[in-house]
Parts: sequence; structure tokens; C-alpha cells
Amino acid sequence: MAATQTADIKALLGADADGDRVVSAHFLVGAVFLALAGALELMALFSLRFGGLSPVGYGRMESMANITIMLGFLVVSLTGGIYYVLPRLTGTRLWRRELALTGLVVTSGLVLIDLLAVVLGLGDGRQPLGLPWWLHIPMLGALTIPFAVTMMTIRSREETRSFVTLWFVIGGVAWLPLLYLAYFAGDLPFISSLGEAYSDLFFSAGFVTLWVFVVGGGLFYYTVVKELDIPLASRQLAAVGFWSLGFAGAWWGTAQLMFGPGPGWISGVSAALGLAFPIGALANASNVSLTLQGHWERLSDKPGVVSGVIGLYLGVAVAILASFASFPSIGSVTALTAYWEAIEYGALFGVGVLLVAGITFEAMPRVSGRDLSSLDRPRSFNRWTIIGAGGVMLSLVAAGLVSGFSWVAGSNSAAYVDAGEGWAAGAGASDVLLLVAVGFGVVAFLGQLAYAATVIGTVTAGRAVTQEILVYGSDDRQGTREATVAEGDDE
Amino acid sequence: MSELSAAAAEALGIPEALVQRSAAARAAETGASVDEVLAAWAGGGDVPAAKAVEAPPGTEVAEETAPAPPAPADDVVAPPPPPQVTASPAEPVGAGQVAALTTASGKPPVLVGEGDNPIGVLVGAVALFLAIFLVGLVGPALPAAIAGARSSDLPFSEAALRGQDIYRSVGCASCHTQMVRPVVADVDLGAVTLSDSNQVLGTRRFGPDLSNVGARTTASQIGAVVTGLGDHPSLALAAEDLEDLVAY
Repeated sequence: MAATQTADIKALLGADADGDRVVSAHFLVGAVFLALAGALELMALFSLRFGGLSPVGYGRMESMANITIMLGFLVVSLTGGIYYVLPRLTGTRLWRRELALTGLVVTSGLVLIDLLAVVLGLGDGRQPLGLPWWLHIPMLGALTIPFAVTMMTIRSREETRSFVTLWFVIGGVAWLPLLYLAYFAGDLPFISSLGEAYSDLFFSAGFVTLWVFVVGGGLFYYTVVKELDIPLASRQLAAVGFWSLGFAGAWWGTAQLMFGPGPGWISGVSAALGLAFPIGALANASNVSLTLQGHWERLSDKPGVVSGVIGLYLGVAVAILASFASFPSIGSVTALTAYWEAIEYGALFGVGVLLVAGITFEAMPRVSGRDLSSLDRPRSFNRWTIIGAGGVMLSLVAAGLVSGFSWVAGSNSAAYVDAGEGWAAGAGASDVLLLVAVGFGVVAFLGQLAYAATVIGTVTAGRAVTQEILVYGSDDRQGTREATVAEGDDE
Repeated sequence: MSELSAAAAEALGIPEALVQRSAAARAAETGASVDEVLAAWAGGGDVPAAKAVEAPPGTEVAEETAPAPPAPADDVVAPPPPPQVTASPAEPVGAGQVAALTTASGKPPVLVGEGDNPIGVLVGAVALFLAIFLVGLVGPALPAAIAGARSSDLPFSEAALRGQDIYRSVGCASCHTQMVRPVVADVDLGAVTLSDSNQVLGTRRFGPDLSNVGARTTASQIGAVVTGLGDHPSLALAAEDLEDLVAY
């Protein structure tokens, strides 16, 4: 009853109830996909360590986990976050809310079809998604919808001044379909296997940098300032963060083919330009830290802000690790190893999930009309995610370094004579660390379940709260400017 | 920096430079002087109301009202508080406008923006992407004529081509490379891969590199591994598909 009342009252007052429903739908669908992605990734980690026991090989499991976390969770949830801030920063309604909702339905449906295609063996094995080429076309179309909605909303904005979040949003929605187009181009028949490999890595790295870090970080600027009602420390530092991340692009992806069949110059170029990645991540993290100066003690009842802060700091660690391994001297050890898997896991299941939580926990009460169902679950989410995702990342980094050094050292000392022997000994040395990673993966999965329970529980069991009025519609010409809606729970 | 702005900054707990900037913006919107605004913020006095029609709507965000305490969930006796609609003394607002900027506490809004052009940001972002795309993807992927390069324009048989499709769809490249690098770790794996065109290179080596694997092992050995020998996942392939994969 309460939800109906809230919606009715909001509609009566002309608030952007439809837009908020679109936002909450994105968050809810994203939460479900996160729980699924966590389970799939856990199975992938398991199959990496116990290949003989896994009914589906690591290749397919990893593709399925990537599809779910990247397209199902990170695209859907961050798009929801974008639709949440747009009316609040532009002073106008979300453009074509039904189109935004259609985008959600199409994207979600395609994710399910993608999963089916991979498990049935219809995919082409290209990392990270492993989809058949014909499924890229509708997905590309779906990914252009956030761009259209965002830019058209901004086009009709009432507010002429831009808060920094708008830059990040504009960059993210423009880069995402372009990245996907570049990935799709790898399927063209005249593209060589080398071009295909570069395309895969370009998309994997670009998705993390240009979508997860850019949009997640940008939305978190809004969260910090709005939740704590304090001004941003530095607009200039935010600009440094935005453009540095844009500049960092996908260089750390290109660097993964070090010593491969590509031209030699690309190693130096990607190592040098890839330095922009930690610079961008550090600029955003330090900007938020400066903003929070003197207000840290207020975070105890703001789990969303805590999530985002942890996500930004973890992002700095991920960026430094990626940049570090992009130099040829380090890359000769880490190339092709679990080290890069660690970075991707940390970026997607660590940074990405935490940054999404940073906006979701803040937005859910405002878009659903209900307070977070519990503060304990978000706190558990933060704790388990940093321990779990951080643990998996460190275990895989260590596994990559151990196997990398083992290969290099064993080969260098002529301990390995037969082809393949060096690999077996090198990989075997990291088996224990892979087992540890599986253990931490279980902890991370608990965190992902806590996130899903928080988001879903807010809608089903959260206590009704005050709503904010964003944009007045044509029905509201009486001058009502602020409204307080108080109502009881429906239980 | 005036005493007024310092006092306002102290009262609000935010940097003085931001207070001044916010005060200037507020003064421009309300028609009051900057000092009046600062004095109001410093002393907790009334802030001049924004002119509803002229004020740029949504400069920051619509201000939220203080949450009303929710009724207890199990309270069946006391009726829930009726919905209240409190109207601020303001002029009629037209469609498409947002709520008032003035906060109840008189604090300046914190989501302060500046008048930059979103189209400029978009153009810059796309241009940056194109530059990275050309240098970071197109450039290195272009075929290079390297003398003595090993090319894998191999004349695959029909069965081997079918096997390559299976190799891809199963996801073999997630764990296996077919790329021999000029580094010590790849010693004895065969000729270094310098330029490739129809292999599946792969980017991870959780399993051994499979370049020239046919020359190093027998077909029956490959078949045994694929069907679950050792730690390798057991792939449920039809006999015909397994033959194709081995042929590849």
C-alpha cells in the first residue's frame, strides 16, 4: 500500500515518478545479475583450480561470468545510476523514459540469450565475452540507448551549469558503444588473429577504465557531495581524473600482448601512456578524500559512501598493478599469467561492485520511497567485498608472479628441457594460491549476496521515507515547491 | 577574503573560497549583495529568497525536505500521519522547473557547477577515443612485413577448420596460447610467432602453449587430454568433433 501511495502522491505532485521507477528497475535487475555473476565467477575460479572436476571448462565459465558481471550488472546498474543523477543535475525529466526501460529489457534479455549461446557452444571463444558475432549487433544497439537518453536529456536541460558528474556520465555513455564497436570489429572476416587479440584486450581494458572507473567514479562524486551536504574539494582535480582516465583508455590491455607478434613500439607506448590510469584513479580518490576531510566520522551510518570510498582506493591499487605490469621488464614475467586475471577480477568484482553500491545505496531510498531495509547488510557487503575481492586479487597476483618467475627462472637455468615442461612446473607452483583464491571467492560471493539482498529488500521490506520532488510537470502549476510525504509502512 | 566570508566559512564548515563563490552566485540570483548573503550565512540569518522565475533551476539539486519519522510498522491504533504538502511562499512555477534552491538551513548549495559545454566534453571524449583506437588498436594490428616471419596462413583442411571452430566455441583460448614469444620462458616451444593471421593466439596460459602441439604429441595423446586426462576438463565432444579438434 505504501508503495502505491508514494507513487500516487508523487504523480499527483508531478514528480518524476516514472523516471525513478526506471532507475529502481535498473538497480533491481542489476542486483539479480550480480548474484548470478558471483556464482558463475566462483565456479570459474573453481574450474581454474580443479579443471578435471568441472563439468564446463574454465573458458566457457569465465565467458559466462564476464557476460553477467559486465553487461548484466555493471552496464545495467551504472546506467541506472546515470538515469538517477541526470534529472537531478539537469533540472529536467529523463528523456523518453519508456526508451530507457526498453533498453533495460533488451539488455537483460540479451544477457540471458548470451549466456545460453555460450553454454550451448555457439560462442566464438573471444575473451572476455565469447559471443557469436551475430549477438553483438543487438547488444551494440542496446548500448547506444543510454547514450541517446543521456544526451537528449542534457540537450533539454534547464540547468546551464554542470556539476562534475556530468562530464563522467557523458564520457562513459559515449565510450561504451564505441568500445563495443571496436570489440565487434574483431569479428570482421578480414581481421587477422592478431587484430582479434588486440580487439579483445582493448575492449576488456577499456570497459574497466572508460566505463567502470569513469562512470562509477563520476557517480560517486555526486553521492559524496549529496549525502554529506559538503562541497567538492576540487573541480580541477575531478577534471584531471576524468581526462586522465579517458587518456588511459585501454593501454593496459594492449600491454598484455607484450613480446607477442605485434610491433615492438607498442610495448613502450602502452607502458608510457598507461601511466595515466593510476593518475586518473588517484586524482579521483584524493579528491574524494579531500572532500571528506573533517567529515569522516559521519560515514558510520552512510554505507554507500563507505562502499564508494573503498572502491576508489581499491581502484588505485588495481590501476597501479596494471600500470606496473605494462612495463616490459615486469611484463616478461607477468604476461599471460593469472596476474592479469587478478586485475580484471579486482576491477570488475571489486572496484565495479563497490562503486555501484556507492550510488545504489544512496539512490534506492529516494527512487523507491523506502529506506534501506537494513544497515547491517550493506556493512557486511562492504566487509566481505573488500576481504573477498581483495583476497582473490592478491592471491591471483601472487599466483601470476609465482608461475611467471617459475617459467622464466626454470627456462633460464635450463631446468626445463622439453616443451611444456616449464609450463607444468610453473603452473603447479601456483596451485595453492589458486586454492586460496577460491576461498576468498566464497567470501566475495557472500558480499555479492548481501548487496542483492539489500537492494531487493529495500523494495520489499524497507520503511517508507520522505520523497524529494525533482521536476514539476504540467499538472503542477500551483506553485507547490516542497512537499513532505509521510506515511506508514504497509505492514 | 573578508571577515564576513571567513565567518561564513567557519559557520558552514566549508572552505572560504567556495563560500565566496557560492555567495556570489546566490547574490546574482537573488539581487542581494554578496555581503548580505555572507552576513546571513555567517550569522544564521535569513537568506534572501531566490527569484523563482529567473533563477536557473536545478543549479544544484532540488533540496530534500527533512524526513518525517515513519509510523511504526505494527502500530495499528494510531493512524499514519496524513500526507502533508507544505507550500513555500513562492511564485507559481511553470512546467519543467525544479524546486527552490534555498535550503532550509540557509547553507549554500553544495553541488556547485560551472557553465561548461557538454557538447565540448562529448566531442573531446570521442576525439580522444578515436586517437587511442587508432594508435592502440588499429596501428599494432596492421599486418607488418617482417622478413623471415613465421606466418600461420596454414592450409587447414576442412576438418581442421571445423576443429578450429570447436576450439573457439569450447573456449580453449581462455587457457591456451598459440603464440611463442622471444622470451626465455618460451624456450623450446618452437619458432617465435612474429606475424600471424589464422591462428587463435589467446592471451592466457593457464594451460600449456599449443603452438605446433601436433608435432610434439600424437593424436591419441591429444584426444586423451581433451577427454579429461589429468587436470584437464573433460569435454563432452562427439567422436566426429573430437577428430576435427585433433585435426586442428
